[in-house]
Order: sequence, then C-alpha cells, then structure tokens
Amino acid sequence: MTSTEVTPAARASRSRGRGDGFRLLGIRLQPAWFFIAPSVLIILVFIVYPITQSLWYSLFNWQIGATNQEWVGVGNYVKLFHDELFWNALRVTATFAVVSVASQLVVGYLLATALAKDTWINRVTRSIFFFPTIVALTTIGLVWRFLLDPDIGLVGGILHTIGAEPIDFLQNTSLALPSVIFVSVWKNLGFTMVLLLAGLKAVPAYLYEAARIDGANARQLTWHVTIPTIRPTILFTTLILTINSLQVFDLVYVMTGGGPLFSTDTLVTQLFREGFQNFHIGYASAIAWVLFALIMIIAAFQLRLFRYNDVD
Amino acid sequence: MRKIPVLVAGGLVAAIALTGCSSATPASSGPVKLSMWTGFTGGDRPAYEALISDFNASHKNIQVTMDVQPWDTIAQKLPAAWATGQGPDLATPNFDPNVISKYLETNSLLPLEATGNGATDINVDKLAPSAIKAFTAKGKLYAVPANIATLQLYYSKKAFAAAGIADAPKTVTEFQDDAKKLTAGGNYGLALADHETIQMWPVLQWLDGADIVDTKGCAVIDSAKSVSSLTTWANLVTKDKVAPVGKTGAEADSLFSAGKAAMEINGPWAAAGFKSAGVDFGVAAIPAGVNGTVTLASTVPLAIGKSTKHPKEAQEFLAWYTGKSAQTKFALASGFPPVRTDLGADAQLSGNAIVSSFAAALPTARLYLPGVTGATQVDSEIYVPFIGQITRGEDVAKAAAEAAKKIDAITGCRS
Repeated sequence: MTSTEVTPAARASRSRGRGDGFRLLGIRLQPAWFFIAPSVLIILVFIVYPITQSLWYSLFNWQIGATNQEWVGVGNYVKLFHDELFWNALRVTATFAVVSVASQLVVGYLLATALAKDTWINRVTRSIFFFPTIVALTTIGLVWRFLLDPDIGLVGGILHTIGAEPIDFLQNTSLALPSVIFVSVWKNLGFTMVLLLAGLKAVPAYLYEAARIDGANARQLTWHVTIPTIRPTILFTTLILTINSLQVFDLVYVMTGGGPLFSTDTLVTQLFREGFQNFHIGYASAIAWVLFALIMIIAAFQLRLFRYNDVD
Repeated sequence: MRKIPVLVAGGLVAAIALTGCSSATPASSGPVKLSMWTGFTGGDRPAYEALISDFNASHKNIQVTMDVQPWDTIAQKLPAAWATGQGPDLATPNFDPNVISKYLETNSLLPLEATGNGATDINVDKLAPSAIKAFTAKGKLYAVPANIATLQLYYSKKAFAAAGIADAPKTVTEFQDDAKKLTAGGNYGLALADHETIQMWPVLQWLDGADIVDTKGCAVIDSAKSVSSLTTWANLVTKDKVAPVGKTGAEADSLFSAGKAAMEINGPWAAAGFKSAGVDFGVAAIPAGVNGTVTLASTVPLAIGKSTKHPKEAQEFLAWYTGKSAQTKFALASGFPPVRTDLGADAQLSGNAIVSSFAAALPTARLYLPGVTGATQVDSEIYVPFIGQITRGEDVAKAAAEAAKKIDAITGCRS
C-alpha cells in the first residue's frame, strides 16, 4: 500500500525548502553556497587546478616558461615503464609503506593496550612515546643521521666502547632502508598509539563483560571484541599511515638523499630529482600521477577490505 | 524577505574576497631597489653580506637586498619565477655552473652587455676564464662568477707528526703512501666524500690523466687509463681502508675536524670550520699527477633575470661586485680566491696563506663536466652511484662500462 498523504511536518519542511534562496539565471541560489564558496574556491585553485594541470604537463616534454611545449602524449609514461630507477623507486616505496605501516599498527596497538589504564606512569609513558610526533621530521632525520654515523655518532661510539665494530647503517645498501624505516616508525609510533588508544577507550565495557560471562579468554576478547569494535579506527589509521608512507620524502631526503646507490630512493625523491634538479617537469608530473593512481587504488582496496560502508 | 540572507551572505563573501585586494603602491622616487637570491648559507655568508653592505653604503641610488635561502629552495622557486617574469632581479641559481644552460632554455637570463675595461664596466677579460667560458652561450655572457674556488689538500699537522711524515705529499705516489701510513688506530688517512659535495673523485682521475667525458661529451670513464686509475683508488678504499665509504661532504669535514681523518681534499670555505674546531692544519697543493698539477675549480654563477625592471643598475652592481676593491675585500674575508685574474700582485692577498694557496691553483684548475649536456643528471644519476659502486667492491671495469653507456645516453654521444 502506498500513501500520497503528506504529514504536517513534511509539509512545513518542503515549505522551508522552497523558500530558501532565490533564482538567478534559472538557478536556485542557496545561502549555504555562498558560505562554502571560499573553501571551494581555495580547493579549486590550490588542489584541483594543480592536480589537473600536472596531468596536462605529464603529456608534454614540459619546460617551465617555454612558449612552445613538445607534445609527447603518453611518452613520459612509456619512458617511466622502461626506467629502472622508477621500478627501483616503486619497490623501495612499497617496501617502506608495507613495513612501516604494519610495524606501526602492530607496535602501536600493543603499546595502546599496555598503556590503556589511566595511571600517572602510563600518562608519562604515553607522552614520551608521543613526543617524537611533534618534532619536525627534518630535525628527527638530522639527529638520527648524526647518531647513526659509524665514525663520530653515538651508536658507533657505544659499539666501539663495548669492543664491537661500528655499523655503517646509512652507508650500507642493505641497512639504509631498514634504518630509515626504523626512524619513521619511531617518529610516528606515538601518533598511531594515540589513535588506537582512543579507539580502545570507546569499546563499551559491557561487551567485555558479556564475552567473559560467555567464557571468552584474553585472546578471544582481542579477536572477537576489541578488534572488530575498533575496526573504523584501524581503517582510518591504516589509510592515513599508508598515504603518508607512500608520499615519504622529508625523512629520506635528510637522512640519505635516496642513497646509497638508490637503495632508499622513493617515488617522491625521484620526482624531486627529476623535477627540480634535472628540470624534467613533464616526466616528474608523470611520476606524480602514477603515485596518485597508486594511492587511489590502495585506498579503495583498503576501504573495501575493511568494508567501510557496512553498517554493523 | 527570504532573499535578504542570500544577499547578505553573498555580500559577506564578496567583502572577504575583496579585502585581499589593495590598491597598488604608488611608485616612489627613492633609490632603485634590487633583490637578490643566493644560496650562501654556509660559513662564507658574512663575507657576502659585508659586500652587499659596502655596495649599499657607496651607492645611494641603488640598494641591494640579499635574500639567503637554501640551494634546494632556490632550485624549486627560481625557474618558475624567472620564466614567468617574476622573481628577484639577481640570483645565484645554483652552485653548479652548468645550470646556466637550463635557464637559457627557458629564456630567463639577461645577456650582460655593460662590459668593457672601465671602472664601472664588467671587466670580462679580467675575470676567471673558465667561469666566463661556462657562462657564455652563442657569444653572449649571461652571468659573472659570484665566487670561484679550487680544491686543495688540507692535512692535519698533528697526524702527520704522529706518523713521522714531514711534509705534505708532492706526488700521487707519495699521496697514496701517506694515506696508507696515516690510516691507523681507527683513523683514516683521507676523508673522501662522494656525494652531496663538490666532487673530489674527478681530481683523482685527472691526476692519472684519465677523465669522465671527452670534449665531445662522449664517455671515457671506461677507458683503460680511467679504469686503471679508479681501480687503484677503489682498492685503497675497499682494501686498505684509507677512506670511509659513502660520506657526504659535511660528514667528511666532520671527520677531519674531529681528528678522525688526516687529509681531505676541500675548498677554501672549509678553512673557517676547521679553525674553529681547533684543528692544526696546513693547506698544500694537490700532489702533481702524470700531467703536472691539476685540481677542480668550482664557480657559482650570478645572473640577472631577463624581466628585471632595472637592467642597467643590476649590471652596475655586477661590475662593482667583480671589481678590484670588492674582490680584494671578499677574498680576505672568505678565503676564496678573487674572481679576477689581475690581483695576483696584491700584497694583502699574497700575504694571506689560505687565499694565496687556493689562488695559486686557479691556472691549472678545471671545472667538473663543463658544457656537458645533462651534466647535473650525469652527476646525480651516474657518477655518484658509480663511485658508490666501486668503493663498495664492485668490479671497476664492468661498472665503468655500464656508466659509460648511461652517460652517452644522456649526453647524446653517438661515437
């Protein structure tokens, strides 16, 4: 059965809807449009325009300021496909993202669980872990670069004192990437911990009580109560960490400059080198678009994996 | 009545938007103001700032403001700024002289025409020829050297005395032997940086008569002479451990400052830091190679943006900057050799041990990859990784052959 009757409340609502705004050139203008206009304008000028413009650049052998730009179509993308440095940068970026995100999630979760109770010692410990988050990334990079110097750094000095050979963490092609990943995890761990802690605090106590009454042990409480309940928090944290990891630049640039022998060269350090050192703007734009596509695909995959749209 | 909130909202937005628009500042009749971007953030910065102050004090009609920024920042901002008719009147685009060709591609540089022999002209004939050659394209000069430097051999007198070595090495053989003798007790004989610095490795190749590319831009890094030279030096690093691997210029400086390295090939800018670190050091010429003395010269271009509104005043500044008086003062304050070649007889300069040592090397100094197509890319993507490979034990001949192929692909060599 259907009904065409309209309730008084709905009638009032429609009445308000018709009354808001006025028509200009046949378009009904709403007051809200004017209030969001500055934000929309800023997004269009500083985000949408540069993104679309870079796509346009990537189709040319673009020279800044030149009157005639050489059209290469998908030439930059084809070149990218055959560029061994690009594949190396892609591999380094993927390794960095997977290892650092997984490490931060696991260690961050363990820390959040261990420090969940509101005791003064836990509050102090949380602050200690969070402290690196508020320090500038370049400062962190410079400090760690100095600490890890095998000849004059603190770590090398300690190793030397105990009779061990200093380790060339950032000069060794096998150790440089793990070292940078370690520093990245150390820097961002506090942020991950705080996010997951907020999620943990929001888990209703009655769920645990009910599960315990049903005989659930600690492992079952984690897998069947805690993790499903904080799934939106895990999704948000994973997304943010993944996007940030795929765009990693500052830390790598300061600590290793992408070296040694490109062992820490990420997509963004390659993009920077091509765009601002070699002045290959079109090629750098193509790298930017590949990275953009990569992030979009991974973000979509993560959203699907965590079923963000479900209503449970 | 309903239209009022809409109109109010629209009015508010318009008002906010228009707040950002202000009327143009009326033209003033004061002195011409020139802006200049430079990347001189190091220990030599005060010497440049003193030059600007002197110029401003002596030129009431022209005032120069120097904005010192990291080189990376300039590299990001200046190409777009100059290519679109904005940006500063003057700038040092990069510490790499080869960058001039990139700015010429975008037609961003003003050709310098106020040249001649007068006191208010840019005395091109008296400026370092290697720099002028690097900054000249199709017969037109596009920059003057903001500085010029050579690399010399710094050595620790304390380390030499401890190893029983009386003098700085004079030949390549002595150089290599001393490096071995000085390598002991966790200390290195030589601090040899291979990236984020002015290249030191080409000097070692040149000493043996080898090179990276020839005059046609074709790679010769894989020649028998080059492979032999590089093998010797790579073995000294990998087997004799005379130098650390994978150091930046700053890290190599720290090693020398901390007394962990006995020798370092470096420019005049390093002297102030070594002095303040309390190192008792001497500066000697690079040991003579098979073809006599040779070292690397570096120069920073100082250019004028094509869209400057004050081309005459900007060139007047360059003429003063490269003049005798300014260069004498700058050399004494910074330790850099003057960019002029006619100040050799100046008593003040010849009496300064640091300046005279670095200036003495100028006649035999060579620029790194001068005029080579894609020189920056050859350096960052080929040469630096290549040195990294051979100092980590990779076969020199094989790595050199691969590097040569890649260099030729960039330079377009088809020989």
